[in-house]
Amino acid sequence: MRGKYMDSNETVAVRMTGIVKRFPGVVANDGVEFEARVGEVHALLGENGAGKSTLSNVLTGLYRPDEGHMFLDGHEISFGSPRDALNAGIGMVHQHFRLVNSFSVAENVVLGDQTTSTFLNTNSVADIVAELSQRYSLAVDPRAKIWQLSVGEQQRVEILKVLYRGAKILILDEPTAVLTPQEADALFITLRAMVAEGRTVIFISHKLDEVMAVSDRVTVLRGGKTVGTVDTASTTARDLARLMVGREVVFSRVERVAHPDAHKTVLHVSGVSATDDRGNQALHEISLSVNAGEIVGIAGVSGNGQRELAEVIGGMRHATAGSILIEGEAVKSGRVRQSIAAGIAHVPEDRLHTGLAPSHSVEDNLILKSYRHRPMSKWSVLMRKTIRSNADTMVERYDVKTPDTATPVRLLSGGNVQKVLLAREFSASPKVLVAASPTRGLDVGAIENVRIRLVEAADSGVGILLISEDLEELMSMSDRILVMYEGRIVGDVSAAQADRESIGLLMGGITTAGAQ
Amino acid sequence: MKSPVRLERRLTQPKSLNWLVPVLSVVGALFIGAIVLMLTGKNPISTYHRILTTAFTSFDSLEGTLRSATPLAFTGLCAAITFRSGIINIGGEGQFFMGAVGASLAGIAMGGQPKTIIIIGMILTGMVFGGGYAAIAGGLKAKFNTNEIIITLMMNYIAGIILDYLIFDSNSYWRDPKSFGFPSGKPIVDAARWPIFHLGMDIPFGFVLAIVVGAVLWFMYSRTRFGFEMSVISDAPAAARYVGIRTRWKIVVVMGLAGAVAGIGGASDVGNFRHILDAKGLQLAGYGYTGIVVAALARYNPFGAIFVAVLIGGLTNAGYALQGPDFPSGLVGTLQGLILFTAVAGEVLTRYRIRRAGHEAMAVTA
Amino acid sequence: MNHNLFVIMAASAIFYGTPLFFAALGELFAERSGVLNLGVEGMMLIGGVTASWTSQHLSGTSWFVVLVSILVGAGSAGLVALLHAFLAVTLRVNQTVAGLAITIFAGGLGLSSYFASVWGVAARPATHPIRILDVAGLADAPIVGPILFHQTILTYFSWVLVVVASIYLFRSRIGLQLRAVGESPQTADAMGINVVKYRYIHTVIGGLLAGIGGTYYSLTVIPTWVDGMTKGAGWIAIALVIFGFWRPDLTLVGAYLFGAFQSLSLILKARNVHINGDILNAMPFGMTIIILVVVSGGWANRRLGAPASLGIPYEREER
Repeated sequence: MRGKYMDSNETVAVRMTGIVKRFPGVVANDGVEFEARVGEVHALLGENGAGKSTLSNVLTGLYRPDEGHMFLDGHEISFGSPRDALNAGIGMVHQHFRLVNSFSVAENVVLGDQTTSTFLNTNSVADIVAELSQRYSLAVDPRAKIWQLSVGEQQRVEILKVLYRGAKILILDEPTAVLTPQEADALFITLRAMVAEGRTVIFISHKLDEVMAVSDRVTVLRGGKTVGTVDTASTTARDLARLMVGREVVFSRVERVAHPDAHKTVLHVSGVSATDDRGNQALHEISLSVNAGEIVGIAGVSGNGQRELAEVIGGMRHATAGSILIEGEAVKSGRVRQSIAAGIAHVPEDRLHTGLAPSHSVEDNLILKSYRHRPMSKWSVLMRKTIRSNADTMVERYDVKTPDTATPVRLLSGGNVQKVLLAREFSASPKVLVAASPTRGLDVGAIENVRIRLVEAADSGVGILLISEDLEELMSMSDRILVMYEGRIVGDVSAAQADRESIGLLMGGITTAGAQ
Repeated sequence: MKSPVRLERRLTQPKSLNWLVPVLSVVGALFIGAIVLMLTGKNPISTYHRILTTAFTSFDSLEGTLRSATPLAFTGLCAAITFRSGIINIGGEGQFFMGAVGASLAGIAMGGQPKTIIIIGMILTGMVFGGGYAAIAGGLKAKFNTNEIIITLMMNYIAGIILDYLIFDSNSYWRDPKSFGFPSGKPIVDAARWPIFHLGMDIPFGFVLAIVVGAVLWFMYSRTRFGFEMSVISDAPAAARYVGIRTRWKIVVVMGLAGAVAGIGGASDVGNFRHILDAKGLQLAGYGYTGIVVAALARYNPFGAIFVAVLIGGLTNAGYALQGPDFPSGLVGTLQGLILFTAVAGEVLTRYRIRRAGHEAMAVTA
Repeated sequence: MNHNLFVIMAASAIFYGTPLFFAALGELFAERSGVLNLGVEGMMLIGGVTASWTSQHLSGTSWFVVLVSILVGAGSAGLVALLHAFLAVTLRVNQTVAGLAITIFAGGLGLSSYFASVWGVAARPATHPIRILDVAGLADAPIVGPILFHQTILTYFSWVLVVVASIYLFRSRIGLQLRAVGESPQTADAMGINVVKYRYIHTVIGGLLAGIGGTYYSLTVIPTWVDGMTKGAGWIAIALVIFGFWRPDLTLVGAYLFGAFQSLSLILKARNVHINGDILNAMPFGMTIIILVVVSGGWANRRLGAPASLGIPYEREER
């Protein structure tokens, strides 16, 4: 069946041209060109922020493009809602499932379908579901309740939902993020079965090995633009990595003087494992160490355990195995106050709702960690005058632009929000600082400011663990770069010798001998 | 379904809304109430006039108003404490009852002690009984994550049944053995009666106590570590976890605190006003539920609650005093309900602003 | 007719349980769509007072007057429920406070009492009360006679309603969509189901049924209006929904159980049996608490528990 669609008679299933989609402050899709053919598995590859999700949301009717055209089977189309897209035969399997937990598989599949008869015949629906699941190797019991199923099985229900509606084009968004390797293999078999029948599969991913294994063609997005569309058979992972991360000239590195205490290990993480909020294994026996005055960067596409790692070190998340040592002393995991007392500072990804209390004032946020001790409070009573003068000092020292210290932090600009956070964390004279995506979403001036502060801290002896998706940033600031993939450290290079391609490969899960 | 206006989330809350919304709510409620009155053939102007004069215009009426306001101030504070922490405690009614049970116990049993000691004893037992009762509900929520709305509601009923049992259906310590015809509670000893301050008009000690409690609560919430932690928890629970604030058992503490406040209210009812455990009267009064109206209108602010309690107390007082053939019953409840409606609907204005639709360009595809 | 205790109890249980069932079924529908309606008591009273008024002022055959009175009662309660739906679904206010506002507004000290006094409803009994029927002449049959064949038309209607409601909820496509709205409005919305419409409709249905429950009190139990005559039946109905695990059939059973408790202490007193009535009165509430604790735990929560989005206003994410 597949041979029929392989050569010059390539029928285009869907074509998107000149797609532009803007959001406040960012152009997510900047003139994207994309085309998928009938009967192929077409991978959409790119880093976070490259525009893959936005493009797929445009295709499935969730967003309306600001400019551009879409063609389905040669006819121009536009969608007013996700329902329209579904009716047109385009179905999406999201990363975050849309399932009713207490319903059965069959009930979820048939939900919302207006063509079902008024009186549910659960049996006939179950039969149809069983038939579909057999045809596409999506083994799942139609009568089981969703909460009884594993994540992999739940994903199958999502796929069945879309197939039941007769979707000809299926879009899967990072489908293997929640699957075991075996489940991922089973999924690929299913995808192949679907395209063999003339459907089209669009496979969004950042994992190079999978893209190489399952797709017929690959379109790479970077910075909101299409940078290339290639036949998988005639490309390599390295080529794809190069397309994915780009070939621009690296910023000049900040040359730093080694700290006198540079031999002293301030942070030693050993064999740490942890689970994420859903109960899946997020970290697999991670070990790393940071010396005084060192900046260790952690590269990787977000979602590979970085947030959990930051939370474990920061004390918010309990480690199921392993230990954390600060200057040789063990710190109990999962106890934030102990971590703070041991000298760990944590700048979380989510500045405004985790790192700060958004409706609270600047001065309140500055004492968010120190309010329990003197001089900020005495005998359980907050010392407002001291808190106020502390805030005045901090605002001046860290150059926070705010009308006054009583302003709620959510009214400040992104850059100033970060300044407040950093001010608080640094003022505790930490030994170790874990910073997760500290410059994300900031303007150029604010980014510069954050980087200066981090280097300043490192120069004064703080050991810094810098987690970032921005490879440029890591390469220009870090002394060493570790790469995280699926909860493991898969690479450890000195920044001076690192090259983008190898790191890109590691970020995509390809470990090649001789990558350093 | 396209509507001509849209609700758009506000980014900031102008401070003026803090008093503007309650004022507009009351005005709105009175307006709607006037329509209801007119539709049923009554004159709103004269009705409102009578209510105002009965409630507020003489010392006599102000005394009655303060009498009605005192229990409402306590239940209002009780509701305010929990609601502003995001806990929906409608058990103020039951917590008030239990406070009355405890305080009347002290008021009867502690005869022979000096006045100050008895009164302190009554306040403390009121707090313990009311706070303990509420803490049960808080504990169930903390441990089993049960819905506090239903639990506190059920516990209100159980508390009412406890009152009935103590006074009507048993020969308990609380029951007055001399009351054969119609069972009633045993009076507290004379020394246990709470003072009434004669300063031109009569101000019950209970009311003063409510102001003190309000001030203490205000202080707790704005100036202590506990208050700081509670406000961080309700602002951003993730941030609370991030800095290591333990959230789970705070629920029990907050409920206990609220219940204790309502319990003092119950104690004041026994000490200042009824002087007995009045099972029937307490259950008819509905202090707990009215307290929620008070708290909502005051936007969960302690000092506001006291002020609003006086307002609603005046309304209630007028309702009792005016009851008779030429004044429609049920008007007070109707107005109170309307005030709560408008207060709650007005709350929406603090979260959203109204925008005409079409104000921003809608993307249209080719 | 010397009926033994059991027969009297069973007959009374059904008699007193019927209005509880109506109100609870109404609340069940509202909650299944995700809306918590604490205003049931107020809605019942509004239904009761308007039905009373209608019964006193409408002329016609007994059946006609009764029917119209019930419809008027249901309709007026439905209007109040519409208000609640507006507050809860469109304005997205705190549903608990909104429901309480309705109860205070319409309840025993509020609008229902106001209407009663303004219309003079309490002055005389309903001209055409809902009578207890003698179905097929079997009212005197041994044992089952008084229990099954000696009830009001509303009781028989409620039996039909249980079946219809169960089929609707669990065997129809719309029922499935309703349950989806209550369990996960985000999912329902994503599947193209109009969450707002479902919530409005079922909240109003809740009001209609509560109104019918209210008419039962004012036209049958004591066919003369008394302020606040439901005496907390609305609150009991809310507890009943939990007790019945949000299923119509179990709700009916629970209603009769609660009805039995209500009448038990009176019956026993009349027979000079001294069991403490208060323990009996407290039992329904205590049992509800226990059930609630059990239902909230993980195991039961998924199988038997409340609709997951109950009480939480739904806001679609910005596009």
